Amino acid sequence: MISRTHVHCTVNGDEVDFLADDATSLLDALRDELGLTGAKEGCATGDCGACSILVDGAVNCACLMFAAEAEGHEITTVEGIADGDHLHPLQQVFLEEAALQCGICTPGVLVSAKALLDHNPNPTEAEIRYALAGNLCRCTGYDKIIHAVQEAAVQLNGASK
Amino acid sequence: MAIVHLQADHRRFTGGEEVLEVDGATIGAVIAELERRFPGLGPRLTEGASVAIDGELLPRGSIYEKVGPTTDIHFIAPITGG
Amino acid sequence: MTDTEARPTYKYVGTRPIRHDGLDKVTGKARFAADLNMTGQLRAAITRSPHAHARIVSIDTSAAEAMPGVKAVVTGADFPEIDIADAIHDEAVNNIARDEVLYNGHAVAAVAATTLAQARAAAAAVKVEYEELPAILSIDEAIADGAPLANPTTRTLFTGDTEPSNFASIGQFERGDVEAGFAAADVIVEREFTTVPVHQGYIEPHACVADCGQDGKASIWASSQGHFAVRSKTAAILGWSTDRIKVTPAEIGGGFGGKTTIYLEPIAVRLSQKAGRPVKLAMTREEVLRATGPAPASKISLKIGATNDGELTTLAGTMYYSNGSTKGFSALTGAMSVASYKFPNLELHAIGTVDNTPKSAAYRAPSAPQAAFAVETLVDEIAQQLGMDPIELRLRNAVVEGDPTAMGMPHPKIGFIETLEAIKSSDHYNSPVPEGAGRGFATGFWFNIGEQSSATVNLNEDGTATVITGSPDIGGSRASMALMAAEELGLDVHRITPIVADTESVGFTDITEGSRATFATGMAVVNACRELIEKMKERAAVIRGVDVDQVAWIGGAAVIEGPASEGNEPLTIADITAQAKMTGGPLTATASLNAAGAGPSFAAHLADVKVDEETGQVTILRYTTAQDAGTAIHPAYVEGQMQGGSAQGIGWALNEEYIFDASGEMENASFLDYRMPVASDLPMIETIIVEVPNPSHPYGVRGVGETGIVPPIPTLANAIAAATGVRMTDLPMSPPNVLKKINEK
Ligand code: FES
Ligand code: FES
Repeated sequence: MISRTHVHCTVNGDEVDFLADDATSLLDALRDELGLTGAKEGCATGDCGACSILVDGAVNCACLMFAAEAEGHEITTVEGIADGDHLHPLQQVFLEEAALQCGICTPGVLVSAKALLDHNPNPTEAEIRYALAGNLCRCTGYDKIIHAVQEAAVQLNGASK
Repeated sequence: MAIVHLQADHRRFTGGEEVLEVDGATIGAVIAELERRFPGLGPRLTEGASVAIDGELLPRGSIYEKVGPTTDIHFIAPITGG
Repeated sequence: MTDTEARPTYKYVGTRPIRHDGLDKVTGKARFAADLNMTGQLRAAITRSPHAHARIVSIDTSAAEAMPGVKAVVTGADFPEIDIADAIHDEAVNNIARDEVLYNGHAVAAVAATTLAQARAAAAAVKVEYEELPAILSIDEAIADGAPLANPTTRTLFTGDTEPSNFASIGQFERGDVEAGFAAADVIVEREFTTVPVHQGYIEPHACVADCGQDGKASIWASSQGHFAVRSKTAAILGWSTDRIKVTPAEIGGGFGGKTTIYLEPIAVRLSQKAGRPVKLAMTREEVLRATGPAPASKISLKIGATNDGELTTLAGTMYYSNGSTKGFSALTGAMSVASYKFPNLELHAIGTVDNTPKSAAYRAPSAPQAAFAVETLVDEIAQQLGMDPIELRLRNAVVEGDPTAMGMPHPKIGFIETLEAIKSSDHYNSPVPEGAGRGFATGFWFNIGEQSSATVNLNEDGTATVITGSPDIGGSRASMALMAAEELGLDVHRITPIVADTESVGFTDITEGSRATFATGMAVVNACRELIEKMKERAAVIRGVDVDQVAWIGGAAVIEGPASEGNEPLTIADITAQAKMTGGPLTATASLNAAGAGPSFAAHLADVKVDEETGQVTILRYTTAQDAGTAIHPAYVEGQMQGGSAQGIGWALNEEYIFDASGEMENASFLDYRMPVASDLPMIETIIVEVPNPSHPYGVRGVGETGIVPPIPTLANAIAAATGVRMTDLPMSPPNVLKKINEK
């Protein structure tokens, strides 16, 4: 019998407990144990960013973390970005600017973009491009994503003034 | 009767003839007539060709499409998409 | 945005509303196939061939079956034999090998178990004894004299030949007199071009869930470009009647042609049937790269002649395209895509080959980018040799309505000239080339297709509407359907809910491919709406007690005209639906069609690049694309298609490639090593939507999904030539390959 570890952490503001065996990735635990399928598996090797989550505010690939590593940490997934039924400005602007096509990369892109704007409220285009360089999008050519992040930055800065 | 244009591949059945006047009220009838005149050509046109009439690409399998005496029919290689 | 032709003013068509499915997609709620879980669900994994070509001597599943958690194992023997003449044969064999494995990664067995880890462990424990056979790994090997057969079931398509062959198809296109054309030409350029396989690169790996009941019926939830095709193909591969299978479309995380074929569903159904439990089967990225896709490799030798005053007179050449492990007609499509210039004399030989690499699949404007690489590079060289502006040269020779394509059929109404003019008047073209950079220009073309679609439009009691179609929404097509319905009905686009229904809830609809969803399915939506309007006019006549011919539909309401108009206010949709019960029951209409008259779309791209002559690195400084959309229903998503297609073409041009080792194993089967463009690799992609309406569509729609991927390869090759003086003829134009050419200079 494979031994399972008890993991206690915070996910999107809620304290959660779950059991995970040693080989389970945090991505699989989120998706299969906790029913949070917002983070996607595009590669499971840390190369596409579809599984991007925040761990204590920093972007991580959930596919590269063991579930047990979440112990004691604060995890945020795309499901936790909005404030109740009030969308985060990034989410709203992504909708308005058509910054998604198929939408499979969108959860990861939003999480990475949020981390960027949390740390750097006025990023240049190049800074946005480098901050999102770990998030593959095959549909959009990134153009509308970059514009949307720029616009969300403007709105967030306006709101905080 | 319609005016049929064949691409090079198919001309080996017609002795090199490219443009033919063919009897038939529908695409299917025209293909049947071509097969009668040039045995072996019919199946090439039904299984392996897209059809355009007067420059308009028809959906695959449009054998009942009506044709008139001055209708230009092009049998072309099959077209799909991505 | 350039409006090149006056078109009617629309209220909804051409606006940019928030898409209806957007909220679910920005909040993580949208359910893609791998996100679905059923009660009692098993997970499955596939055993794949480690050889590029081998005979399967035996398969022993006993060890796998005895492993913990394993509930079912299937091999090729669990599926009916299919005649090689049957249209489904190649896809059936590609889903699971029978006598031979045809490429490294070919599925040979599959296991369903309680957990994914158990399924994977058991899949690895399936013992397959192989007898290795010689593997063909390239076009050159396939066509060599005395080459062994890559696939003994392949016959040359459309020839009636019954002997197995490494030639998948052989075609020829001719017009005029090529010899005389070259004899009379003042300039002749000639080169050989090669491209390697590239993957569609959708971020969502293939996935499905299948649940087979005791009644012998199966429900499938799948990510695909066409769930009706999933149903018919799965039924054909299982030997079942179609009514035993219901397919519900999950959201699809990108397809680009690669999800027009199926890989998993028949296997998942058989596993579920054997285990008596639902089964989820999803590929890993490595499996996606080793066993799905790719776009074909090609080898094209081409010669073009022109006169001193810039008339392109003659084109001749031979185009080889690989189809991977099975027959296909990619070479024919490639040759047919040579359709942009008049060329009075033309002779093209199109030869498709079979080898022991993964079975190729459609990828956006299939086969056209490879052909455009050759044609547009040579046309650029002619402009250079004649000292002519590359756009002027193309304007001189551009096809217009009535001019022939490579296969002789005349073009319908097209907007190539308008597209060229749009680039010519762009800010980019009229800005100086940056210091040290090179500017490249090229064009592209794609036919687009129509085919079968169905739509049902239901008016709800409160005057809102539901638009039901069977076209999976890959990149905003729900919004386009709602916009066309809004325009027809005169109903606010957000009072319309567009949904994509399962195979039992809407009429048959072909795959979303060939840029056909907005065109053909849109037409079905329009027809259903028009039928509803007639019905609403009848209801309004009943309510007002007038003859129906006194009722007109104006601005989303039934207006009573003529003598009876006095005192009779217009009836809105909500007014009419509120009384539906009293006037004859629910208001609903269904339309189905097989659409003809798809409108070809042309694109023209312009790029400024810098080439680092020390490293061979190509940096794109500025990129502009103009494309004829016919009519842009939702311009933001048209731009998105243009930008996305450009980015994929840029990746194909500069970096992407399958690397096989000598045994035929893919060496770079991960996103780390199969390098697709990331945000920091690209500049903004400026878009100019050209609108030359397609007369065969009620709103003038041409498909926009495909053409954007065609011009980038030659655009960048031409830009590199302008920057460095070297002509790149082999893809990818990656730093080592560019450096090599520069050093050979
Ligand atoms: S799934 Fe984690 S980076 Fe791709
Ligand atoms: S929107 Fe499809 S991958 Fe980004």
